[in-house]
Amino acid sequence: MGTVRGCNFPDDLYYSVDNNVWARREDDGTVTVGLTAYAGALAGQIVSYTPKKVGKSVKKDKSCATVESGKWVGPVKTPVAGEIVAINDKVAEKPALINEDPYGEGWVVKIRPENWDGDAADLKTGQDALAAFEAKMESEGFGGC
Amino acid sequence: MSATWRLLDTGLRRAAENIALNRALLEAHQAGEAPHTLRFLRFRPSALIGFHQSPRQELHLDACARAGIEVQRRITGGGAIYFDEGQLGWELYLDRRTLGTADMGAIARRICEAAAAGIRRLGVDARFRPRNDIEVDGRKLSGTGGAFDGDSFLYQGTLLLDFDVERMLRVLRIPAEKLSGKAVAGARDRVVSLRELLGEVPPLETVQRHLAEAFAEAFGVTLEPGGLNAAEEARYREALAEIDTPEWVHLRDAPADEAPLLEGVHRARGGLIRAIVWLDEARDHVKQVLITGDFFVQPRRLVADLEAALKDVPRADLRARVEAFFREHEAALLMLEPADFVAALEAALASPTTDEAARP
Repeated sequence: MGTVRGCNFPDDLYYSVDNNVWARREDDGTVTVGLTAYAGALAGQIVSYTPKKVGKSVKKDKSCATVESGKWVGPVKTPVAGEIVAINDKVAEKPALINEDPYGEGWVVKIRPENWDGDAADLKTGQDALAAFEAKMESEGFGGC
Repeated sequence: MSATWRLLDTGLRRAAENIALNRALLEAHQAGEAPHTLRFLRFRPSALIGFHQSPRQELHLDACARAGIEVQRRITGGGAIYFDEGQLGWELYLDRRTLGTADMGAIARRICEAAAAGIRRLGVDARFRPRNDIEVDGRKLSGTGGAFDGDSFLYQGTLLLDFDVERMLRVLRIPAEKLSGKAVAGARDRVVSLRELLGEVPPLETVQRHLAEAFAEAFGVTLEPGGLNAAEEARYREALAEIDTPEWVHLRDAPADEAPLLEGVHRARGGLIRAIVWLDEARDHVKQVLITGDFFVQPRRLVADLEAALKDVPRADLRARVEAFFREHEAALLMLEPADFVAALEAALASPTTDEAARP
């Protein structure tokens, strides 16, 4: 588990640093997508979650869900293109799970990717990801999780 | 040389047009097609719900239809509001880099503090109240909310110039109605307009000038009047085609009985505390609370501040929020403990949901 300014970034995930989201390839070929701990810290406690519908196709870097915190509404931008195959009922009931367990129970959607290898090539992982998040936090004046 | 932002005044419009402009301007800003902008806007009579809300839970739709009040869904967060010609809307389209922070709470605070400074130039003691209000002596004068897309964001607020509380109560399904005969007084105690504070409504141009000057000063920029560019016009037409439809307005449409109003009473040594809790059952989430009674607290505005701090809170966090509030606020409670407020709220949450409670 990597840590940047107190925010966790698991080593095995793929990150879109710009969009503050992660992706994990599962054994069944689907990809789980979520917000990073850093995104949750910037947003504050998330109180609403509206995912796109199961079966809907989403483009890379476009919205796969909308979340709300402290009267702010914004998209979760998927790091991979594909079809949404699952949404998270637990998060629908308790959106703050995105803050509390961003890489576990607080996942946002599961996607059947169109082109995982192609999309993943644009994502950062391991030490590269940690360095990129450090640079992002520096430019955004972030104190820490 | 200071940076220049655009000053855009889109005048009096229908709600669908105003909200389509929200989306168009935010998208254009995110795409690098639009400058940083301060926008002023006004609405024909409208009931506006927050992005994640359901019209049937928030509004008296029959009353809206009878009075010709347009119902619309915002792209920003927060609660339902009634908006008409007696209010001025202000909005900023910026990016996180401009403000040197990506923390959404910090961005909201900075903008609200600048707006409050502008309102103070009119001669009223307006202050930012966490999390998203601008108030005068505990009464709300301006509510705010935002939307972001990548690094770009839109942050918007209302300003009550002149306000028709009775009309608002006919339109919004709010806990204040639960106070039956005292409904209007209860709601009136919680909001205030410039007319009430100043004895008259200042000219619109004056209000806009003070707000614009305060924003320019707070962010160290110059404002230059301008209109929509071609890219924004094109995005606006596209957005309007989606937003000016029942599908958009009813994007979320949970029935009213899934958001009951629960009422509880706690008899403390220092008096009786009555709590009304508006619960979103599907998310086990408190939308709003209203606290009344014959207890004594100082300062008087404390109850309004407590209510503001308890908006949109997971039910499980309610007790901790009350305790944190009293740690952060200096309060004189006469024979009352913070735990008494928790007890009143818990009494409400423990009360059975009835059809009567679901239909205020």
